[in-house]
Amino acid sequence: MRVGTKAVAGGLLAAALALAGCSNDASPAGGGGEAGAAPTASADCPLASAADPGNSAPPTGVPMATAAPKLPVKDTYTVAFSQNASNNPWRLAETASMREEAEERGHQLTVTDANNEQAKQIQDIKGLIAQKPDALFIAPITEQLGNVVVEAAAAGIPVFLLDRDVDNTVAKPGEQFVTVIVSDFVQQGKRAAWAMAKATGGNAKIIELEGTTGSSPAIDRKKGFDEAITQCPGLEVVVSQSADFTRAEGQSVTETLLQSHPDATAIYAHNDEMALGAIAAVRAAGKVPGSDIQVVSIDGSRDALTAVDAGELFATVESNPRFGPRAFDTMEQYAREGQVPVQLVLEDRLFDKANAAQNIATAY
Amino acid sequence: MPETVSDPAATRSPESAAAATGRRGAVWAARAQRYGAGVLLVLLFAYNALATPNFLTVQTLLDVQLRQAAPVAIVALGMALVIATGGIDLSVGSVMAIAGQVGALTLLAGVGPVAAVALALLAAAACGVFNGSLVVRYGVQPIVATLILFIAGRGIAQLLSGGRLTGFRDPAFQFLGLGRVAGVPMPVVLMVVLAAVLWFVVRYTAYGRTLLATGGNPRAARLSGVRVGRVTMIAYVASAALAGLVGLVVIGITSASDANNVGLGLELDAIAAVAVSGTPLTGGRISVIGTLVGAVVLRLLQNTLIAQGVPREVAQIVTGVVIVIALFLQRRSR
Repeated sequence: MRVGTKAVAGGLLAAALALAGCSNDASPAGGGGEAGAAPTASADCPLASAADPGNSAPPTGVPMATAAPKLPVKDTYTVAFSQNASNNPWRLAETASMREEAEERGHQLTVTDANNEQAKQIQDIKGLIAQKPDALFIAPITEQLGNVVVEAAAAGIPVFLLDRDVDNTVAKPGEQFVTVIVSDFVQQGKRAAWAMAKATGGNAKIIELEGTTGSSPAIDRKKGFDEAITQCPGLEVVVSQSADFTRAEGQSVTETLLQSHPDATAIYAHNDEMALGAIAAVRAAGKVPGSDIQVVSIDGSRDALTAVDAGELFATVESNPRFGPRAFDTMEQYAREGQVPVQLVLEDRLFDKANAAQNIATAY
Repeated sequence: MPETVSDPAATRSPESAAAATGRRGAVWAARAQRYGAGVLLVLLFAYNALATPNFLTVQTLLDVQLRQAAPVAIVALGMALVIATGGIDLSVGSVMAIAGQVGALTLLAGVGPVAAVALALLAAAACGVFNGSLVVRYGVQPIVATLILFIAGRGIAQLLSGGRLTGFRDPAFQFLGLGRVAGVPMPVVLMVVLAAVLWFVVRYTAYGRTLLATGGNPRAARLSGVRVGRVTMIAYVASAALAGLVGLVVIGITSASDANNVGLGLELDAIAAVAVSGTPLTGGRISVIGTLVGAVVLRLLQNTLIAQGVPREVAQIVTGVVIVIALFLQRRSR
C-alpha cells in the first residue's frame, strides 16, 4: 500500500496537468494477497486462541509522590474539577462520574468547563485556586497547562490530573502535581486486535479507520493494534484511513474503501462512532455486518453495546470515562498514606456478545 | 449555448470577448475557463475507471460517488445564489447542525416526521432571514454577517443537544437520507431536482435576471427599479433552507444528529465547489451546472485519494493543488 501512495499522488497530478499519466497506475491497489494462496490456518495465530489480554499490568518502577502538597485526613473535602470541554458524550460521562462520586462520598465539588479553549481553562484554574479547595482535579486540554499546575502547587493545593498529562519538564510529577490517572490507549488497541483475531479466526483483510490525525488515542490505538496483529500472518491491514472519529466520516470513508477493496473482510475502528458509521456502510453495500464483515472498535458507548448485542459489532474495548471512583480513591489514599504512585492506569472492560446486553443500561 | 449566466451589463462572456479579439488560442483558453472543472471531472473519471476496482458499477457511481457529493452540491447551489448577489454565506454548516438538531428533537418529541421536517426547515429559514436582515437592512458585510451564525449557530445546536448524540429510527423521517426513488438514492434525486429548478429560475424567470443585476451592479440595479433588498434576502433564505434540508439528509443517513460535527467545514467545501466551477466570488454571475460539477469533482478527488490509501494530510495538499489547477485553467484568458 505504502508503495502505491506516492505513485498515485504523482500519477494524479500528472493526470491533472496533462492527458497522459493514467496507464502506468492501472494495476489495482488490492493486489496485496497472492491469487490462489490458501487462507492461513488459524493455528498460525496465537491471538485467536489466547485469552483476553486484559488491562495492562500496573506500571512498575513508578516513583511515589512524596514532595507534592499534603492533604490532611478529613471526613469530607471541598474539591474542584476543571473539565476541558463538554462537547462529547465521553467528557459528559467523565464529569457526571466525578459529580456522582463526590456526592456519594459527601465531598463538595465545584466543576468548571473550559469549552475546549486553553485560555479559558487557565482562567478557570486560576479562579479555582483562588477558592482554595482541599484538592484540585484537572482534565488538561493540552500538555501546555504546566505553569498553572505549578501555581496551584505554590498555593499549597494538591493537584490530580485526569485522562491527560501536562508537560513534565514544567510541572514535575510527584512534586507540582500528585499523580496522573490515564487510560492505556496502546493496550486498548492490543485488546481490539485480540477481539479481531477471535472474530475472524486469525484470517482477515482489514480496513482500519483511524481517529483524528495526530491525536494521541489515534496514534496509540493504531500502534497497539498494528503491533499485536504481527503475531498473526493471516491478519492484514489492507488500507488505513482517517475518518476523524465521527459517524458520518466513518460511513462515507467505509463506503469508498469497501468499493476499492472488495476483498476486505473486517473493519477495525479507533472509536465506536466510526464503527457505527462503518456498519451502516457495510449494510448499504449489500453485505451483512457481523458475518460478511466483522467489525471491532473501542469506547464502549451505549449505541455500540446495542450494536454488539444485535450481532453487528463483534466487540468494543471500553475506554472508561468513569474516573470518579478512582480519582477519589486516590485522593483519599494520598491523604491517609501521604503517598501514591505518580502515574495510575484506569481499568477498561471488553464488551462482546456475552456481556453487552447487561451493560447497555449503564453505558454512557 | 453557454451555461454560465451572467449579467450582460456587468460582464461580457469571456468566450465572446475572445472571439472579438479573434485569437484561436484565446478561444481555447476561454473554453478551458468555462469547462475547467469539467476537464478535471473527465480526467478523474478516466483515472478511476482504469485504476480503481469496481469503479464502473452503478452501485459505486450512484450510491457512493454521487450520493456522497450530493450534500455539498446542494449546499453549494444555495451558496452560488448568495455569491451571485455578491455575498457569501459562512453559516451553512452551522445551519445544517441547527436544522438537524431541531428535526431530531421534534421527531423524538412525537410531532411526526412531516412536522419535524417542516419545523427543521423553518428553523433553517429563520437563520436565513437573520443573515439576510443583517446584510440588507443593516448593511453588514456578508462575510461578517454570516460569520455570526457560523460561530453562534453551532453553539445553539450544541445547546439543544446537550452535547449528546441524538439517535433515532424513523423510516419516514429518514427518507430524505436513506430513501430511494426508482432505485436512485434520495440525496441524488434532491440534488438533480433542485439543480434543475435553480437552473430554470436563473435562466427563465424575472428573479434570475434581477439576481444577476443585483450582484453585477447593485446601484445600477436599484436605479433601474430592482428591489435589491428583497432579491438579496431571498438568496440568503434559500441558501439557509437548502442547508437545513441537507442537515436533515445527513442525519437521516447516520440515524443520529451530531451537533458537534454535522456540517462542520461544509461551508468551505461549498465555496470551493463554486470557485472550482469558475464563478468569480465578486457576484453577478452564476453557473448551476458548473457548481454541480465542481462539487462532484471535489468529492470524486477526495474519494480517489481515500480509495488508494493516500494519507489524509497528503490528500488535503493534493486537493489544494487541484483547486489551483482549476483556477489556473480558468484564469488564463483574463
